Amino acid sequence: MNPGPQVVTHLFGKSYLPVTDTLLIGWLSVILIIILARYLTKNLKLRPEGKQNVAELMVTAIYDQIEPMLPGEGWRFLPFIATIFIYIGFCNLIGFVPGLTSPTGDLNTTLGLALVVFLVSHYEGMREKGVWGYFKSFGQPVIFLLPLNIVSEFAKPISHSFRLFGNIVGGGIIITLIYQAAPGLVPVPLHAWFDLFIGLIQALIFGMVAISYISVAKS
Amino acid sequence: MVEFSPETIEMVIRSVSVIAAGLALIAGIGPGVGMGFAAGKATSAVRRQPEARGSIVTTMLLGQIISGSTGIYSLVIAIYLVFT
Repeated sequence: MNPGPQVVTHLFGKSYLPVTDTLLIGWLSVILIIILARYLTKNLKLRPEGKQNVAELMVTAIYDQIEPMLPGEGWRFLPFIATIFIYIGFCNLIGFVPGLTSPTGDLNTTLGLALVVFLVSHYEGMREKGVWGYFKSFGQPVIFLLPLNIVSEFAKPISHSFRLFGNIVGGGIIITLIYQAAPGLVPVPLHAWFDLFIGLIQALIFGMVAISYISVAKS
Repeated sequence: MVEFSPETIEMVIRSVSVIAAGLALIAGIGPGVGMGFAAGKATSAVRRQPEARGSIVTTMLLGQIISGSTGIYSLVIAIYLVFT
């Protein structure tokens, strides 16, 4: 079970800048992703073979998700969306390693990612329509709806972050309950469902919702 | 007027919050029905137009994500009721 973030050590003395295990495992997965990316993209060839096929498959699969919703700008948003997707997918899967907990089971991680998506979507909306035109679009179709639009705008990052957090933590709680009721081999297939399938699906969903927020802000 | 000891009050609060967490999960009915409805409609749409499968599945997933949020809210509230 995920007991929540634990403070491992402090930078600068005894009480300043606490370092949690979420932070350490998050950085560990960043380093592993960098090593994996360097390995997959070493000496690229025009005619792909072996590991280069895997890299091209990942890039085109993510590109095919972006292109229908943001027409003509697939390559521009590919680095951002692919970073979100690969980082969250890797963080969900790293919970398989014994002794490591998923960094996405901590609200700090998911809320941080959701706030990044929030800022990017507003920036893109202002870039598309101009600052004043973008703020004016909150008063559409009638000015009476302005408070509702603002509240729904702030509800977006909250629901975006709680969705990922709730799915990961809820799966962990169910697996813990089953470990207490029926230890042994019974919970093993449940790990495949809750960690592998739900983890990858939630990474895909987080990226797709990010794309849809950006495309809503631009339209 | 009956005076309760602090331990009794603490115990009552804990047991009531556990019951409330169980009741909060009743909210799982709504997203379940809604997501199932969306999946059923998407199935019949794929049967009518098998060539539009990709965009139908994407639209269905987005709708299910939005309608599934309420279930996640109730889950988070239940977690906070039990673990605080």
